[in-house]
Amino acid sequence: MDRKKPKKLQYARETAAGFLFCSPYIVFFLVLFLIPLIWAFWLSAMNWNLMSPNREFVGLQNFLNAFRDKKVLAAFKNSWKYFICVVSFSLIGGLVIALLVNRMPMRVRGIGSVLFFIPYLTSGVAVSVMTKYLFSYNSILNTFLREKLNIGINWFINPTSAFAVIIIMIVWKLSGYYALYLTAAMQGISADVKEAAELDGSTGIHRFFHITLPMMLPTITTILTLAAGTSLGVYTEPFLLTEGGPGNATTTWTLEIYYRAFTRFDSGYGTAMAILFAIQIFVTIRIINTVMRKLNQKYGC
Amino acid sequence: MKKILKQRRPIDIFLDILTLLLILVSLFPLYYMILQSVVDWTTVDKTIIPKNLSLASYDYLFHSTNSGDTMMWLRALGNSLLVCIPVTLVALSVGLLVGYAMTKLKHFNGKRIIFNLLLFEMFFPKIMLLVPKYMILKDLANTYAGMIIPTMISTWAIFMYINYFETLPNEVFEAARVDGANTFRILYHIAMPATLPITTIVFLTTFMQRWNELMWDMLIAPSTRFQTLNVLISTRFNMMAQHPGPLYAASVILTLPIVILFLCFSRNFREGIHFMLK
Repeated sequence: MDRKKPKKLQYARETAAGFLFCSPYIVFFLVLFLIPLIWAFWLSAMNWNLMSPNREFVGLQNFLNAFRDKKVLAAFKNSWKYFICVVSFSLIGGLVIALLVNRMPMRVRGIGSVLFFIPYLTSGVAVSVMTKYLFSYNSILNTFLREKLNIGINWFINPTSAFAVIIIMIVWKLSGYYALYLTAAMQGISADVKEAAELDGSTGIHRFFHITLPMMLPTITTILTLAAGTSLGVYTEPFLLTEGGPGNATTTWTLEIYYRAFTRFDSGYGTAMAILFAIQIFVTIRIINTVMRKLNQKYGC
Repeated sequence: MKKILKQRRPIDIFLDILTLLLILVSLFPLYYMILQSVVDWTTVDKTIIPKNLSLASYDYLFHSTNSGDTMMWLRALGNSLLVCIPVTLVALSVGLLVGYAMTKLKHFNGKRIIFNLLLFEMFFPKIMLLVPKYMILKDLANTYAGMIIPTMISTWAIFMYINYFETLPNEVFEAARVDGANTFRILYHIAMPATLPITTIVFLTTFMQRWNELMWDMLIAPSTRFQTLNVLISTRFNMMAQHPGPLYAASVILTLPIVILFLCFSRNFREGIHFMLK
């Protein structure tokens, strides 16, 4: 039937259908993205207590205050610590797991990668429960350390150990997930390339650094981008376990934004912080992609 | 074939042990969590071998009147499901519809606009919109709608569907249209079955992420009537320090459904990762 109609009408109908199908997304985009986005910039220039009807236009004052705010500076400093630790350890962990999975016999390879992947499915809340009590004073771990090794650590009072515990939790969760990407990429390297490398006498570690790793650079770039977002946005674990402490040793941007905006109701300032944080994420991901592109041009295949 | 029969060197044995060790590390926390939820309350956190087993912790969660509200934990589990299921269904449907419109409606004259909207949205981290979103939706505080509406459309899911539809040949869809099938029949009889692999991935990932969501649910639905399981555990986090057994039990109830769901679909999930990398 459609074929008899003039083409123009059919095109118009298709466009109408397209917009109809996309309409839920368009509404969502306008109401829950664009309006909040504009509102965010407007809010960031306001001194406004979420609960009060009075507000005051303060221009860039919120941003200027943020640069002198101890909590913000701590969150900024910690965000780099989280970034470096989480990205490097989970990438290395992912690579090790992927290499180990890749040398498993074909029959068990699938199960192998799934076993490593399970941590990724756990809720940060559930793992925090476990961590809190595993590291509590009377737990089997601390009793063992005290009685057998004479080590008494108050895990969440000591800034270094508190930070280390949170890093371990996150790396534990992410490594197997990234390994899944890396395993897929390794299997994507064709047998021809491997054979050619073997004929050239390139095996073992040499092959890994000169063939496997360079060929996986695009996947590694993806992982670095994902890990940057995740590591900068950490909040569940410090929120439940340390509330950002001791001192400000484990606090993060998200946590400080949450406390500012929703426990101190300082919504304008909280939003200004969120914008600064967004800029940091954007710049970080930009740098990662530029560096990785350069590396790929130099070593990639 | 000969390679497999090759004799095992010490390095191989070392790597085998390392593999087993890492599997143990990745599963130990789950083992520990489950174990502590089924041991007697006097031995919680004091053992890593199963002995003195008891279901006291689960019994406490579902029958104790200590908190004055015996239904609290069960309701929280129900709330989690009531939020996650609609969110996942909407995310899948919107992904399917937008993905289809963007790739298979050849003369749809708005592709470029929609694509730019999607890219533009991906550009901004979600945390930036937290406060204004809360202000827009605060009238929906303590309702399911407040938890469902802002999380039910996933840009990531839409991109997954667009990418997947692009790999499907246009001819199939053209042929159906020539045969006189209307768009809804095409969607139902061709697009839906053909996209099943990506639907599995999007379903599992969206469900898992929604299930584990903390901050938004905590802000918009603080009342115990609407708290999800994840939020309820986090609010009881420090209140049960003397007897953490029930907290472990609740954590197991939070974690196991997702793990089982994934194990059921693990094969499709791995295939999906292969697709995502292409």
